[in-house]
Amino acid sequence: MEFIHPILIKPFADMVSAPDFLVQVLWEGIVSGVLYALIALGFVLIFKSSRILNFAQGIMVVFAALTLVGLYERGVPAWLALPLTLGVMLVLAIGIERVVLRPLVNQPDIILFMATIGITMFLIGLGETIFGGENKRMITEELGIPTGNFIFEPFGGFVSIEQKDLTAVIGAVVLVVVLLLFLNKSKMGRAIRALGDDHQAALSVGISLSTIWVLVWFIAGIIALATGIVWGARAGVSFALEVIALKALPVLMLGGLESVSGAIIGGLMIGILEKVFEIYWGQPLLGGSTESWFAYVLALLVLLARPQGLFGEKIIERV
Amino acid sequence: MRLTIKTAVLATIFAAGLTAPALAQDTLKLPNMSYRTGPFAATGTPHMNGQLDYMTMLNERDGGINGVKVQFDECETGYNTEKGVECYEKMRSEGALVTQPWSTGITLQVLPRTNVDKIPMYAPGYGFSAMQDGKTFSWAFNPPTSYWDGASMIMNAISGDNLDSLKGKKIALLHLDHPYGKEPIPLLEALAAKHGFELLLVPVGMSEMQSQSAQWLQIRREKPDFVLMWGWGAMNGGAITEAVKTRYPMNQFVSIWWGAHEPDLSLVGDQAKGYRALSWNFADSDSKLMQDVKKYVVDAGKSQINQAGGEFDTTAYQRGILMSVIMAEGVRAAQDLAGTPNIDREQLRGGFENIKLDDTRLAELGATDMMAPFSTSCANHTGHAKAWMIEWDGSKFVKVTDLLTADRAEIDPLVEKAAAAYAAANQPWPINDACTD
Amino acid sequence: MLYRVAGQFKTSYQADYALFPVRQDAWLLVFILLLAFVVFPMTANEFMFRAMLTPVLIYSLAALGLNILTGYAGQLSLGTGAFMGVGAYACYKLVTIFPEMNIVVAIFLSGFFSAAVGVAFGLPSLRIKGFYLAIATLAAQFFLVWLFQKWAWLYNYSASGAIQVPNIKLFGVTVAGAHATALTQYYFVLCVVCVVTFLAINLTRGRIGRIWKSVRDMDIAAELVGINLMKAKLTAFFVSSYIVGISGALFVFLWRGAAEAELFDIQLSFKVLFIAIIGGLGSIMGNFLGAILIVALPVLISFVPGLLGLPIGAAMVEHLNVMIIGMLIIGFLIVEPHGLARFWAMIREKLIIWPFPH
Repeated sequence: MEFIHPILIKPFADMVSAPDFLVQVLWEGIVSGVLYALIALGFVLIFKSSRILNFAQGIMVVFAALTLVGLYERGVPAWLALPLTLGVMLVLAIGIERVVLRPLVNQPDIILFMATIGITMFLIGLGETIFGGENKRMITEELGIPTGNFIFEPFGGFVSIEQKDLTAVIGAVVLVVVLLLFLNKSKMGRAIRALGDDHQAALSVGISLSTIWVLVWFIAGIIALATGIVWGARAGVSFALEVIALKALPVLMLGGLESVSGAIIGGLMIGILEKVFEIYWGQPLLGGSTESWFAYVLALLVLLARPQGLFGEKIIERV
Repeated sequence: MRLTIKTAVLATIFAAGLTAPALAQDTLKLPNMSYRTGPFAATGTPHMNGQLDYMTMLNERDGGINGVKVQFDECETGYNTEKGVECYEKMRSEGALVTQPWSTGITLQVLPRTNVDKIPMYAPGYGFSAMQDGKTFSWAFNPPTSYWDGASMIMNAISGDNLDSLKGKKIALLHLDHPYGKEPIPLLEALAAKHGFELLLVPVGMSEMQSQSAQWLQIRREKPDFVLMWGWGAMNGGAITEAVKTRYPMNQFVSIWWGAHEPDLSLVGDQAKGYRALSWNFADSDSKLMQDVKKYVVDAGKSQINQAGGEFDTTAYQRGILMSVIMAEGVRAAQDLAGTPNIDREQLRGGFENIKLDDTRLAELGATDMMAPFSTSCANHTGHAKAWMIEWDGSKFVKVTDLLTADRAEIDPLVEKAAAAYAAANQPWPINDACTD
Repeated sequence: MLYRVAGQFKTSYQADYALFPVRQDAWLLVFILLLAFVVFPMTANEFMFRAMLTPVLIYSLAALGLNILTGYAGQLSLGTGAFMGVGAYACYKLVTIFPEMNIVVAIFLSGFFSAAVGVAFGLPSLRIKGFYLAIATLAAQFFLVWLFQKWAWLYNYSASGAIQVPNIKLFGVTVAGAHATALTQYYFVLCVVCVVTFLAINLTRGRIGRIWKSVRDMDIAAELVGINLMKAKLTAFFVSSYIVGISGALFVFLWRGAAEAELFDIQLSFKVLFIAIIGGLGSIMGNFLGAILIVALPVLISFVPGLLGLPIGAAMVEHLNVMIIGMLIIGFLIVEPHGLARFWAMIREKLIIWPFPH
């Protein structure tokens, strides 16, 4: 019974004995969860409307953030750099639709998936050519994001909450609410959902495929910019950011490829659980760095029980 | 299958084109494996710029080394070991005199080959610590000092030269989970066992470099008395930001030389006050050496550095300059020994074993107090230069200690063991028993 | 004219089932083998071997393994890199535990380890399909790479955490390690690749291959005609991971010489997937064409500025190289989503009726 103690008892004892630390762990989990959710949201939007698993979402985050910082470094004031970056993302969306998606309409899913990896490589090369490969500082203050710390001292310990993280969480919530309103209330949003439900039916009532695709990729670009600002403020802007796209994939498995709310809840769940697991089980028992696979294994286990994900639509197969 | 043939024909043509220039030897071909791309570009680029700029300066000011121009080509690896193999073969077939792998992963692949291909490997301030043993590693050089020297100097500095005072304390090693980051572990473990302190390993995976919140939560929970950092690239900036956030006392946070990188620290400015790094070099932009580089290279528009960003003044850029200084000294020594300015690989190997960078020579080069004097020999391929502890005062690094000394009695037996183990694993491995000093 | 098939009559079933029913195909194969076995070794230099020929062969083999799973059995996998790692680490352990073991035996044995791991991670495919399965294989990818890093026994507790290939002899000739010449290693890899490819061609033509294809085309229909889906999918995972494991062992032992865990990360999986898709899913030959494009072409491109005398820095060449490869991938997918193999098939069709198109 020796081995049960460190697995089942000690972690919880640790949690109770240092509640301030637990709060900090949970908060860190929430912040990364919000980021995962944002990236997953970009995936979901594009998958819903075009059945493309857009691997380029991660590099779009880097590209958007780099463009913003790069413009600022070239002397463009921050208030102008932001809309200009949005403009670049719009051009990117139009370009992708014209050059890549339109000729590939109706191809198998895997071909489109590979095409987005091609886009990823192209954008990596382009970004490094224009902006260089070094780590850049996100222009946090210039954009009016507060950078201080809130220090709480409950239970005799301390919990530090960075204002920029708080801003990120609030910003993400606002973004999601606006997005949900847009998808559910506006004409364009309904068109996106219609396209997701049935391509042919949507086309036959006069919804333009190419307009919607440009729109969806542009929205994904906006989300990418938001993610880039938030993540860049935490860790600087560089191509190493690209790997966070991979973190969004288990979120998609858990939440379902087509569910907006699934992406958000899945993201938060994974963010919190992987942090708690790493701190209380991974580091003491497994040598750390479990965050690299925990989310995938968790998602795999959930999928074995529910193949369509926690919030995915039930797949009914017919012959 | 047409494609196969076409490609084959093309490839043969290229191959023919490749071998031809390898014969000509009117320049000193000292190529570098650079990484100006990828997650490690942040610290890689200034070093590579420094190395390149010093060689350019020699070509501009002196017409090369002893009248022979230096051809300092770069081959981009992006820290990718696969590209490393490609670059190594490419440079070797082009007649390179030396290989500079610039990554411990690539070093691992290339090191056994250097013996067979008879090409010197130059890994200034990185690579295997055991490479100091010139008997075993005849073709590998890592001057001016090794990671184990660095680890020993750091431990001496934080304990006030009395390692027993660390008894019962907890020391965390925050390291990149990569051959490079694991390099100091054997020495630190030996010291921990001997002096009774606890060593806590905190690995940072390649994908976690920029978000180390789990690692720093661990540090906050374990409350180590000191955190040593073996980081590289985006990891250093990430760690410093997290340390500020978790309110870890900066004066207990010490990094190896790669962490002495101003741009990482200016991100947090005053909040990182007290952060220390062990560095074998110290930036001095007013020195004659740097002024020459400025005059002949930077002001002449021949440098790739980011002048607006103040890269010229950074410790990393000037460290790159010194790396080339040491190599040029090796080339000079080789030319003197060979009696000809046109040297080959074997002669360059001899030169690297006879580098004498004493105070007079440093003064001649205009690099007084930019690094400590050292010399190499047949058995000592590292040179064991001493290093300073430098501290971030909120806007720049200042020297806070005199030159520190590594504990040879601790390191040398470990080196001997590691070198023997390496030779045993790579049988047949030649041992140069002629080396005695 | 050159490729006229008219007049080649089959008089027995055996002749009709031959690997190359058309004589010209066989000649072409002989020509290519001649090129690979005789012409290249006589003309190429060491750089060519180590930077292009050997890696192309090894990557082709890895892509062949993946292609059996994805192209023939229709199960998308993103964990190829990790399965290569299992093969490499297994081979390393075998060679260090049993130093007397013949390297060929060690390499072919190490495939069984990756096959076993592949089947274990293939089990979810019985319940999960499509992209969900692809992401599930990522669990294997990340978990295994983490294991390579943390399980010190795998790398014999070496301080650097990396594995280093010792010098290994086969019949008196050093084939692995620093003392092996590029030519020996090339021949060794070439022979292994030829054997495995020959077996794979016959496997995919036969009963098992047909079962895989029916599962790929419609699994429910396949089940209805009495195919055991579980057996079909798991054999595909087994055979695929076995070949991938062998390629991983060759990758480290016959080419790289040393490896750390990061070598087998997700980028390697993607690279192999690219080769399989650009070459053509469901084709054996495509893997070789894809590998030439994805592995050898970037090496060639990096020489272009030098040959043209363009003053471009090494980093810029690399940036442009990544961009060009990205564009090529998109371009090929647009022009011919079924890959280079289909290109060849079309050219061959045209050649057969040339010069009388109707």
